[in-house]
Amino acid sequence: MIFQSQTIKNLGLMLLGIFLSVSGLHSQSDPTAQKRVSGTYVIQNVNLVASPGSNATQTSILIKDGLIQEVGRNLRVPAEAQIIAGDSLYAYHAFIDVFTTAGVSRPADLERPSDFNPSKPSDEIAGITPWRQVLDYYDAKNNSVTEWRKLGFTIAQVAPEGGMIPGKTALVTYGGPNSSNVIGRQNALHAKLRNSGGGRSLYPGTTLGVMAKFRDVYKNAELSAKHDRTFASAAGINRPERNKTYEALYPVIDKQIPVLFEVTNDLDARRAMMLQKELGFSLGLIGLQESDNLIADIKRTNTMAVLSLKLPENGASKAKKDALTDEGGEKLKRVEEAYQKALGQAASFEKEGVPFAFTSAGIRPSDFNKNLDLMVKAGLSEKAALAALTTNAASMLGISRFAGTVEKGKLANIMLTTGPLFAENTQIKHVIADGYVFNYEVKTAKKESNGNNSNGSADLSGSWEYISETPAGSGSGVMEIKRDGSSYAGTITYDSPTGAGKDTADMRNISWNNNELKFTFSVSAGGMNLDVNVSGLVDGSNYSGNLSIADFGSFPLTATKKPNQLNQ
Amino acid sequence: MKKILQAFLISLLPMSWSVAQTPTGSVLIKNAHVLTVTNGDLEGTDVLVENGIIRRIGKNLSAPASVEVIEANGMYLMPGIIDAHSHVALDAVNEATAPITSEVKMADVVNPYDIGLYRALAGGVTISHAMHGSANAIGGQNITLKHRYGSGNPEDLFMKEAPRTIKFALGENPTRVHGRGNGIQPRTRMGVDAVIRNGFNEAIQYKKAWEAYNNALKVRGATPVPPKYDERLETLADILDGKIIIHCHSYRADEIYGLINTCREFGITNIVFSHVNEGFKVAPELAEYTMGASVFADWWAYKFEVYYSTAYNAAILTRNNVITSINSDSGELIRHLYHEAGKAQRYGELNDQETLALITINPAKQLGIADKVGSIEVGKQADLVLFNEHPLSIYAIPQMTFVDGVKYFDINADDNDMRLRVSASEVVEPIFLKEHEHRCMHGVDFFFTNFGRSLFNHSH
Repeated sequence: MIFQSQTIKNLGLMLLGIFLSVSGLHSQSDPTAQKRVSGTYVIQNVNLVASPGSNATQTSILIKDGLIQEVGRNLRVPAEAQIIAGDSLYAYHAFIDVFTTAGVSRPADLERPSDFNPSKPSDEIAGITPWRQVLDYYDAKNNSVTEWRKLGFTIAQVAPEGGMIPGKTALVTYGGPNSSNVIGRQNALHAKLRNSGGGRSLYPGTTLGVMAKFRDVYKNAELSAKHDRTFASAAGINRPERNKTYEALYPVIDKQIPVLFEVTNDLDARRAMMLQKELGFSLGLIGLQESDNLIADIKRTNTMAVLSLKLPENGASKAKKDALTDEGGEKLKRVEEAYQKALGQAASFEKEGVPFAFTSAGIRPSDFNKNLDLMVKAGLSEKAALAALTTNAASMLGISRFAGTVEKGKLANIMLTTGPLFAENTQIKHVIADGYVFNYEVKTAKKESNGNNSNGSADLSGSWEYISETPAGSGSGVMEIKRDGSSYAGTITYDSPTGAGKDTADMRNISWNNNELKFTFSVSAGGMNLDVNVSGLVDGSNYSGNLSIADFGSFPLTATKKPNQLNQ
Repeated sequence: MKKILQAFLISLLPMSWSVAQTPTGSVLIKNAHVLTVTNGDLEGTDVLVENGIIRRIGKNLSAPASVEVIEANGMYLMPGIIDAHSHVALDAVNEATAPITSEVKMADVVNPYDIGLYRALAGGVTISHAMHGSANAIGGQNITLKHRYGSGNPEDLFMKEAPRTIKFALGENPTRVHGRGNGIQPRTRMGVDAVIRNGFNEAIQYKKAWEAYNNALKVRGATPVPPKYDERLETLADILDGKIIIHCHSYRADEIYGLINTCREFGITNIVFSHVNEGFKVAPELAEYTMGASVFADWWAYKFEVYYSTAYNAAILTRNNVITSINSDSGELIRHLYHEAGKAQRYGELNDQETLALITINPAKQLGIADKVGSIEVGKQADLVLFNEHPLSIYAIPQMTFVDGVKYFDINADDNDMRLRVSASEVVEPIFLKEHEHRCMHGVDFFFTNFGRSLFNHSH
């Protein structure tokens, strides 16, 4: 009897299987026309660089429903396959971003209670939110995701925004619109050495407090876990107090997931490494800059090293060299050396044999290719650059099983370029993300325009409303720009540092060239003047750039122009 | 240039660097006028340093051929100057967000690239006590730094053999920041005392809870539940156990005497008072119950509680047998602490040895390191400064500064630009207003890092 019913069940499954495969072959009607004709593609006769450093070989790639089914010169082309002509194109595994906040929105600041005591804020107000899952704040359709995909990125670890412990990361693909595109959730814990939310206005306010608080939270999570275990196994134990902060750290103290510390320079990285040494979690250093001094320690401790794609501005290039004294010349030389060192950091890691990956956090998509090129020109091998963006990244994320190289059995995350990567004028023609094909227009090389200004007929003048994002939150204001002869003049309003209303400053040194708008303005606060530099690109009535304040870093600023007739 | 090259070479050989001890050097200084501070002055005397330690002091000493010999005829050799109150080489100073922050550690935020370290070396300072700010009744744990400028690793600067110390603060700063600023205790000087007492009493409870737990663990088959971990209270318990020296920011005699009484009540003897402008009023009590006072030579009137002050303070304290030091609390004053000591001599007519003790052996005593540094004695660490003139002369200029026998400053041989780290994007590097604020407002919690961060965020 049992045998019989089992047979019937198997028969049922078989029938179901047949039904499914039939429906697979003959797609159901799709009145919305959203559905793909087929998930099967063959990239024919493409120059494949299957892994970093391997030679380009001409071959074909069969992709079916997001998986690389076959790689080979003479593979059988299924009837339903769409053909992508690979002739003269190059295929690489698409880029993997080890850490990004692209598409992630910042959780709203919590309202402070009326009896708020800044020395004892709740964890959530204090920026300690390890229970937060980034996917609750992630929008796969966000423009920046589209932009990064256009640059060849198809897999990313997205990290939550927030305070000193923002929460858990997730692994996503930049694939098609009908999928959640989630590969994994709760991949790592994101942590920082600085707290946002107004610095000294609540505990912990500085790196001092943040490090102490991190130790506190970690050690108490260990004790809490111990209490839980005792309670579960013995009688006569008082009930453990449930604490979601501690519970959210259990996978970290059990070393199931790493802590990814966002760092800026070697000193920050050492601080994270110090915490690691004391507490014993597994550590990833995210956003390394100025860390040449640390390479040996990273190597010795085998720490996950993720370099920033950010590069400093070349200060020396703007200096007036002819007016310099001898001493000034010596100083300028050191600024130049510092710049070259920054460009060469990735190359130094490569030279020392320390595997590393990259994070896009902190840079604009438009700087990606430029900065990568600068690093390659400064000595980073193309092989190491590609490895950092593919195989190393995959191994750090623990996904080498299905990502990092183009071979049978791996997920279909492939970029097709018009020439070898890093060669001049090479452009991306297709990005295949999770088996979905995204096509991009390939521009033929344009003639250089003759004039100095190639801003077209765009007119800057008008009212621009801007929003800036600093680690402390958003600011906003208006830039009023007017024509002043052949150049521009303007004013900008900003949130007053006194805390009330807006202040206004003149926009100085306005430069407007190749669609790039740069200017400086002064903020006066506490009897001091502080220069804020803004630069960015104008695209029609949109402005996207960064503002930088002395040594405090650079933060995104975006603006939109109000239609001109409203301004008059 | 040599030091930069050294730093560069070190970065190439970091494997050995990270495991190795901090560098020590050997040197023979010949025919110097040696100001030992503890054993009088020795004219035309040689000092032999081997592997960072003073091995011999005497005439006609010789050294192995490999050891550098410095002819110091006509020059003055004194112990490296020690600054018992400094904020040089710190990336953050004040965790000004809670009345007690004994859990925070200045060791976490040391910045070994700070040019301020080199400037201090150029002023003959070989050790500084890198302190937390004065916003909190009980601030963070300080770190005693040896100025081993050139390493990128903060740990290489830590004077590991120095005992732990902690910052306390009385008076206007903690009451302004927490009381007036945030509407919490302490609002008055009474409140500051209450905060400190409460802290100690909680620490006693905390210690008991952990002792009970650890004892319960020893019983076979027991399953005790661990108490919460609290480094804040654990640190306070360590103070009560005499493991940590308090360095307390203070001005007025009443609050100084008040804290002396509180400490006596809790059995605390390891306490040094800093600034102590009214210390001269309670000198006998400071002498009897504390490890002394660390004062300014003539700096006052920058806020209400600092008006009752005198340039005779250091001398009066010294004459009353208070261990007295003169500190900088400033990246600028630290460059000429010998002048600051000279002022105390000018007013209070201290003798040379008493005056030099204010910036050498006395601060060493206050930091608990007087058995290792602070004077030129056989067996002590070779932290030394060579001056062209007597260091209490207004014409004195440091010529060379040694830490552990390694020369970190040489007025003739060093490169013009001794910065270890240079900005790639700023040809003229910004001056850190942090320091400026710090000096003008003196220990006030407002510092620039946060100012910049919150510049565009005033919605709440």
